Amino acid sequence: MAAFEELVARHRDRIYARAYSMMRNEEEAVDLSQEAWVKGWQRLAQFHGESSFATWMTRIVINLCLDQLRKHKRQRAESIEAMDEESGGVERQMPVITVNPTAGLERGELRQRIDQALGQLSYEHRTSLVLHEFEEMEYREIAKTMGCSIGTVMSRLFYARRKLAALLADLKNRNTV
Amino acid sequence: MDYKAQLKLQALLDGELPEGEASAVAQWVAQDREAAALLEELRNTRGALAGFDAEVRLPESREFFWSKVERGIQRLETPAPKLARVSYFSLVRRLLVPASAVAVVLIAGLMLIPPAGPTGHTIATEMETALADSGAFTYRDYSAGATLVWLSYPAEDEAAEIDEMGTFD
Repeated sequence: MAAFEELVARHRDRIYARAYSMMRNEEEAVDLSQEAWVKGWQRLAQFHGESSFATWMTRIVINLCLDQLRKHKRQRAESIEAMDEESGGVERQMPVITVNPTAGLERGELRQRIDQALGQLSYEHRTSLVLHEFEEMEYREIAKTMGCSIGTVMSRLFYARRKLAALLADLKNRNTV
Repeated sequence: MDYKAQLKLQALLDGELPEGEASAVAQWVAQDREAAALLEELRNTRGALAGFDAEVRLPESREFFWSKVERGIQRLETPAPKLARVSYFSLVRRLLVPASAVAVVLIAGLMLIPPAGPTGHTIATEMETALADSGAFTYRDYSAGATLVWLSYPAEDEAAEIDEMGTFD
């Protein structure tokens, strides 16, 4: 148990960060990362070292978050973003953001803006982005994790990036006015 | 630019295109301003996210967080309390004892109560069930001067003790 406690101490920030990036809620992220550690202990015999322990634990927390997000989705109506995606892909018509909206920003400010913008994406778009950018998963892996086709992953990722660019540009404009 | 072409640009950025196709798309980007601008936008967004969550910290102390995880693990390892087993014999007796008691009292009543006299008055009788012991019944017939007490044996509390000592699954 002491060795496991050490593992928790070593990787708890990473596991929490992943839960937080997906859930956008501190309390839920803490609860889910705690649940992930309990599950990790329960399934420890299944860890054979094919990936690093941190990666293995991250997969557990990602799956827990996805389950939770699906529950949330069932409980409330579809988000505006999801409807946009279904109704014809507004991201295709969005003008290209020619100026880098994050250029010249301090790290703290950049973090805050990205945080705000990520919070405005639907969970499907945010998760695709998180898995690709932070977990460095390939399209195929994301599709498997999220239970959708590679085409859907590409489409969600594209939308998420374009929407994020637009949101960051909008935040920049509002702050400079 | 059609949607398929836009997704190809993204795939180029993500290194998801096969080598041959990647160089063809790269060539197209070099010649197409619109494609180059979109690729640049996608690249900027990707750059903005780089290392974004590296600074995220769990907002709880090591000890406190571990204590919660530990409790969760302990809960997992503690077997669920078993339900008290009730023997088949005890279940049958619980049903049979009151049922047979009621039957005995009814039969006794039918045998002891004479039909109503010519005056039409019914004979005064009384039947009691002790609340503390549902297995004991007292039947009194004042006119006949008869009292019948019916006891179930063993008494319910004794039966429960016997059950506990010798249950079978």
